[in-house]
Amino acid sequence: MRVLRALLVVVVILTFAASGGAQAKLKVGFIYVGPIGDYGWTHAHDQGRKIAEKQLPIETLYVESVPEAQVEPFIDKLIQQGARVVLTTSFGFMDGTLAMAKRYPNIIFGHASGFKRNHNMFTYMADFYQVYYLNGLMAGALTRSGKVGYVGAFPIPEVKRHMGAFALGVRAVNPRATVHVRWLFSWFDPAKAKEATEALIAEGVDVFAFTEDSPTVVQVASKRNLPSFGHYSPMQRFAPRHVVSGQLVHWERIYIDFLSKVLAGRYTAENLQNVDYWWLLAEKAVELGGDFGVPVNPVWIPKLQAVKVQTREFGQISVYDLVNRRLAQMSRTPVAFDPFTGPIRDRKGRLVVPAGKTMTVAELTTMEWAAPGIVGPWPKEP
Amino acid sequence: MAGEWILNTIVRGIALGTPLLWAALGEVYAERSGVVNLGVEGMMVLGAFAAFALAQASGLPYLGLLLAAGVGALAALLHAFVVITLRANQYVSGLALTMLGLGLSALLGRRWEGLPLLNTLPEISPLTYGGLLLAGMLWLVLYHTRWGIILRSTGESPAAVDTMGLNVFLVRYLAVVFGGALAGVGGGLLSVAYRPSWTEGMTVGLGWIAIAITIFASWDPLRAATGAFLFGALFHLSFRLQTWVAPEPLQMMPFAVTILVLAVVTRRGGAQGVPEALGIPYTRGES
Repeated sequence: MRVLRALLVVVVILTFAASGGAQAKLKVGFIYVGPIGDYGWTHAHDQGRKIAEKQLPIETLYVESVPEAQVEPFIDKLIQQGARVVLTTSFGFMDGTLAMAKRYPNIIFGHASGFKRNHNMFTYMADFYQVYYLNGLMAGALTRSGKVGYVGAFPIPEVKRHMGAFALGVRAVNPRATVHVRWLFSWFDPAKAKEATEALIAEGVDVFAFTEDSPTVVQVASKRNLPSFGHYSPMQRFAPRHVVSGQLVHWERIYIDFLSKVLAGRYTAENLQNVDYWWLLAEKAVELGGDFGVPVNPVWIPKLQAVKVQTREFGQISVYDLVNRRLAQMSRTPVAFDPFTGPIRDRKGRLVVPAGKTMTVAELTTMEWAAPGIVGPWPKEP
Repeated sequence: MAGEWILNTIVRGIALGTPLLWAALGEVYAERSGVVNLGVEGMMVLGAFAAFALAQASGLPYLGLLLAAGVGALAALLHAFVVITLRANQYVSGLALTMLGLGLSALLGRRWEGLPLLNTLPEISPLTYGGLLLAGMLWLVLYHTRWGIILRSTGESPAAVDTMGLNVFLVRYLAVVFGGALAGVGGGLLSVAYRPSWTEGMTVGLGWIAIAITIFASWDPLRAATGAFLFGALFHLSFRLQTWVAPEPLQMMPFAVTILVLAVVTRRGGAQGVPEALGIPYTRGES
């Protein structure tokens, strides 16, 4: 009994000591929608969290696999544990995060991929649409059947925007090619991703891109000797000869920027109403490639150099050079090229982006229309 | 064209059906002994992790599957001890096992995330034929041998089995552990054959589908095989058909049709229903 009591005293002291020490550091809580081992979206956020924690005088907490409808009690818990900044990382957390921001006006909130803000809640997104366009250019060059496949998670604006940019890229190189879509209604479901890919293969699709948080599509395609584009994490290692390129993210760029401004007192729970990070290639929040530092898998460079296209800006040019030119244009500030520049008609022929106009961030984040060349179901198509 | 469609659907059905079949066969035997094990998902995911880790380290996928069977059996032994010896609630223990399996495999598996597997099994492997053969054998044993009578009686009326001087506890232990080994193999097939890599939670609910198949197959090994392959084929079709049918209702189709078909088959076959003593802990001298 005495031992037990002594032990209890030690535990209590340690607890106080720990919380006492932590008060010096800013506590930042993260809410993840998936498991941090998903090798996709959540994994990437967690990598960003770790890098930020290493570089800044902060302490981080996280909860993984939080159901979207149950975000509020989890936010409560993080705040009880001392979090002064709470970052939620799924579109479906948007309304719950806003409700909590209103309940806790002194806590700083951040929501990834949404559009609702408050004086103490900012929004942020490292978006891939430019990178998807570049991948589309390559996919258009590599398809032999003229059928490019896309395995999509949920039919929401974000995924539709990425598919749209991808399809515009495909068509810029290969105006007759089509992009065939299959929806999973899951962010992470390897079994669904696998059967969706198999279904596309059965229909003659020979190049693949996707939004799902596992390397499944890449693996299935490579088994059939077909090229694919990785998503979110470095997936070239799963199919070293078949992953052509892909999209990679650097959430730490946004996390470090925002949190240093909080630490410096520039961002407070009072002035976030108009703070929206919409970071792209130019901010280095995203990267082209199936592995860090490898924009295009060298195995595929000769094939992409062999395909020539006629462009208004550069004349006759190989697809490989075109990808590099466009990448350079989009990595500049201000950007010199945007895939969503009009005139663009949707797949029904309706003019959605007038000539000379470029889509605004607000338009991009609420985009529902299907780009020309997309074949397959498109829930909520206008 | 139609031939290609049918052939492709059958192949896909077998590919996804194989891991489901192994897990469902295990659950059929466990439940025939009167023990519900809702830990199938947990045992599968542990098996998936164990098989992947060992296959990755050794380059031998079969060795990985052997370990998966062992790990599944061990996890099931834990459940058996809790519900047979300690007489705890079977449903609670099974759910706990699922959570334990998901958590433990995620924790241990971090190091294996993102690693490729060089030696993999084909989707349709000897384990597919083995699974079918096993289904036939388990059916024979269940309905045409003394062991089968003992197993079924243990699930129907353990007191009667006890009166005959047979060890109810031993039968249940063996059935549950055997079931766990098969669930482990089912999970292992996911990570070394169906989708060769390790990601935490990669069983994505297939363990629950195996349990559902067990129930709708009326605890019959051959019907479980039908259910597993049928579900696999329909699951694939639900993506194939997206060109013509809206994806939202298609999501439900594999579940709905599998249940319907198994219900019809069961009605015709006049199989027995649920084992009488299913889910009830056995205590000597009572009832």
